[in-house]
Amino acid sequence: MSEVRAETSVVTRSADSARPRPWYFDILIAIVAFAILVTLPMLFTSKALPDFVIRCAAFGLFATSLNLLVGYTGMISFGHGMFFGLGAYGFGLLMQRADVSIPTAIVCTLLISAVAAVVIGAICVRLKEIYFAFVTLAFQMLIHSVILSWQPLTGGDQGLRGGIKRPVFWGIDLSNHTHLYIFSCALLVIGLLLMRQIAQSPFGYTLRMIRDNPVRASFIGINVWRAKLTVFVLAAIFASVGGIIMSLFVSGAYPEFAYWTISGEGIFINMLGGVTTFLGPMVGTVLLLILNDTATRLTEHYGLVLGVVILFFALGLRKGLMDFVVDWLQSRRESSKGRHS
Amino acid sequence: MTTPSKPGINRRTTLALMGAGAFTAATPWVARAQAKTIKIGMPTILSGRVAQLGTSSRNAVMIEVEKINAAGGLAGRQIEMVIRDSKGQPQEAARIARELVNTDGCEMLIDGEASSGSFAVHEVARDIGVLCIHTCSEASSLTADPKQHIPNAFRCVRQGIHDSIAGGNYAAGIAKAKGLKKWATCSPDYAYGRDTTAEFVTYLKHFAPDVEIISETWPKLFQPDYTETVTKILQAKPQALYSALWGGDLTSYIDQANIYAMFTQMEVFAVNMADYTALTVVKNLPKGIHSGNRYIKTFPATAENAAWGDAYKAKYKEYPTNWSWQNATAMMFLSEAVKKVNSTDGKKVAEALTGLTIKCPFGADGTVTMRADDHTLIGYAIGWGTTIPTEPYVPDVQSGDWKQILALEAEWKKSKGYT
Amino acid sequence: MDLDALIGCFASSACVVTQTTSGLIIGMLLFLVAVGLTLIFGVLKIVNFSHGAFYMFGAYFALTGYQLTGSFTLAMLCGAVGTAVIGLIFERVFISRVYGRDVLMQLLVCYAFVLIFDDTVKLIWGPEFKSMGMPDAFRVPPWFIAGGIVPPFYVLLIAVALAVAALLGIGLARSRLGKVIRAAAQNPDMVSSLGINTAVIYGSVFALGCGLAGLAGALAAPVRSMTPGMGFSVLIESFIVTVIGGMGSILGALIGALLIGLIRSFGSLGFPLFTDGLMYLFMVIILVARPTGLFGKDVA
Repeated sequence: MSEVRAETSVVTRSADSARPRPWYFDILIAIVAFAILVTLPMLFTSKALPDFVIRCAAFGLFATSLNLLVGYTGMISFGHGMFFGLGAYGFGLLMQRADVSIPTAIVCTLLISAVAAVVIGAICVRLKEIYFAFVTLAFQMLIHSVILSWQPLTGGDQGLRGGIKRPVFWGIDLSNHTHLYIFSCALLVIGLLLMRQIAQSPFGYTLRMIRDNPVRASFIGINVWRAKLTVFVLAAIFASVGGIIMSLFVSGAYPEFAYWTISGEGIFINMLGGVTTFLGPMVGTVLLLILNDTATRLTEHYGLVLGVVILFFALGLRKGLMDFVVDWLQSRRESSKGRHS
Repeated sequence: MTTPSKPGINRRTTLALMGAGAFTAATPWVARAQAKTIKIGMPTILSGRVAQLGTSSRNAVMIEVEKINAAGGLAGRQIEMVIRDSKGQPQEAARIARELVNTDGCEMLIDGEASSGSFAVHEVARDIGVLCIHTCSEASSLTADPKQHIPNAFRCVRQGIHDSIAGGNYAAGIAKAKGLKKWATCSPDYAYGRDTTAEFVTYLKHFAPDVEIISETWPKLFQPDYTETVTKILQAKPQALYSALWGGDLTSYIDQANIYAMFTQMEVFAVNMADYTALTVVKNLPKGIHSGNRYIKTFPATAENAAWGDAYKAKYKEYPTNWSWQNATAMMFLSEAVKKVNSTDGKKVAEALTGLTIKCPFGADGTVTMRADDHTLIGYAIGWGTTIPTEPYVPDVQSGDWKQILALEAEWKKSKGYT
Repeated sequence: MDLDALIGCFASSACVVTQTTSGLIIGMLLFLVAVGLTLIFGVLKIVNFSHGAFYMFGAYFALTGYQLTGSFTLAMLCGAVGTAVIGLIFERVFISRVYGRDVLMQLLVCYAFVLIFDDTVKLIWGPEFKSMGMPDAFRVPPWFIAGGIVPPFYVLLIAVALAVAALLGIGLARSRLGKVIRAAAQNPDMVSSLGINTAVIYGSVFALGCGLAGLAGALAAPVRSMTPGMGFSVLIESFIVTVIGGMGSILGALIGALLIGLIRSFGSLGFPLFTDGLMYLFMVIILVARPTGLFGKDVA
């Protein structure tokens, strides 16, 4: 296993160093991507498309933030979904109970998630591999049972009912579906851009070093615990942005958002898209949602279909789609180089 | 549906315009809407632990759709059902409900979701204004809470509060006759279980004031093992036990309590026992469990009800469930409401549905009513009786008194701050 | 919280006996599932996420076996052997392809089969829940021991589970195969270089683990209703057990299972609304104090 890791990480690093791009290049891409997303509904009249993109934004941010842990730092979290749930519940509760503006609610929600992540992360990040996975899972289940039990606040298994109000702010009216769509796209693009900066920063390379060789990392003076905790908290914040988008989409928050299956889905998305490229999880999100939406249209044996597709990726491709593409490009480049020399 | 460029016109006004024949602009959607068939969307749960909820709901809907279509359809339009599996996830339920209306062109929704999923679909109905009938969610607040109320959503489901008033009255009678003073409860730890149990206890004490609850247990929904809760109740030595467990959880509980001989030590009141899903599955059904009816073809004891149950069994090789009659009733309501206004326009049908009384095999007096003030079903067959291990399973059902139920329900609503 | 009830219980022998046996019952069934999980992890280094599905298969096979033969003994055999065969095929055809691969890939293959197995059961046995019913031999009044209530069926259940635990312990310690298995767990390359076919070892360990989960399912069949997806909650609980006991340790699985059983049975007296939460909390505490579980070796 460690061999596989090391090998893929070499690929990443060479792919990264092959094209050293200035930071404004990312911003340029982000602006173009945002522009494309905003024009999409004008080009296609399908009403399902904006819904699809909003869900992609929610799950995409969640999955990409999980990849900061899984792909970049080698921390396999099975409980990342708790921050998705915290985001949805925090935002929903603030809007229903506290009568604040949407931006205030978002900032407060992110603060709550960050505090929760500091506490939980401080306990979890010391643990290794599968044990880290299980303790994060245990925390997730703990939070899920608290949501179910704390009925006066959370509404128990029925979730936050009665809809989430959306007072207009800065001229944005989120009860208008077009506004909600553009708002979600903006959150997605900004979130991805920020995570990209984290991944490409010196801190991001520290994380890769911790993944590949934690002993060496601590040898050269890196505080591994602090670095892991930092990325755990950062990832939690972005995951809860995903939760906020989801709660706006369904106009509520439900305990299923904090259930382990959301974490499982996040892991699955990462494997589907690939963990060695930054956009892998985004590709995985799109793939999974397309798969989900078509399969539920065509069959009620969704499990059977999804299972077979997973097997194709796990046993056939043996890696995520983006990893596969990157490796394929790499090998083509190398073979053509070989021919020239 | 609203066209994206005209956010000012919502779905209902669009439909109204079309109904009035004033809407002549030929957008592709309008062409589809005026097509001969009418599509009705149905998000429900077809996989996982409660897949039976979805399959038995779908079966019942399809039986009624066949009848309606054979009789000429809804205002001359044949019904086409579009049924999708939400896998029990609320975000999927919301997504599917939106997609059914926005993309598949469904003009009405039958919401076959339970618990959180039904609230998610309810929000979609609020958002896009589509006519929606909830057929599986028993959560009281869905219609009782005025904050939830929207003109285009209805609930065609039996309700815990009704069961509890009828059950409280029935149980109090037995408690007085047999001197049952010490009671225990064992219900699933989620909104339905908690609310129904609290309401049952309230009305049990209302009718038999000297009853006391000496032990409560709250197993999780779908918990595989109830041994610890069984033994806890045995320690407390109550004279009677109330349980709102249902389905597989209830049968597990009975099997596990049976080997502790629990049923010989106390009277058991299990509101969800008299449903074929549980009755036909339990192999060693103890005699004399008191139960509320769910669906049972001998109650109400009418030819129509028996015929409906037999037709269902003949078609699907199993007995209908509680969900089945609720879904069938929803389709009957739709059919009658459309007949009344001779239109499939969502807004008109919603108006017709409000306060509508129809003939129905599942009605206590042969009719059921969609109550006008909170859009919820009343007048359905409700009763309690004791079980025997073979057909007809509950030979003698005592009917609940709807007058009493409605009077106490009104008080309950007031106490909850709903009115 | 209801601490009075908990304290009150310890004052009465009847209560202690009843709650302890109830804890044992929960614990021993959990042990049968968890020991397979821990064995497979110890030898194959695979976290078998599909283990709950084998518990489910065991119950359904037992149901069919019981309906066909009417004998509970044969039904149990059906459950255990049938599940072991499926486990063997599963290991040879699919799991053997992911040895030494990334943990996530292994989990993914198992997860795929959780979905596939659940849908398969739904296709074969239908989506509605089933119940097998108690065999006539055990439909007798419960025994009373020191004032506590003990049903005979549960005595059988505990006895079978204890016998399995003893057989496994002795088998691994004494028999040739057991020694090879332990060696393979330590150093698979060395074992194969000695000319021992590791494929046979891996296949049989996986089949054994799955068979035990199937046996647990078969034993539970008379008292627990069956639905597609029923293995899931059992899987989560047995994960908690193996993590508390230490992944790979059989003794750990036994102790962990008993601890969880007792937490559930006494916890339901003292903390009726937080029994599940109590388990997760206990797991967190154990892992923070001993990151590799009670009897776990350090992860290499």
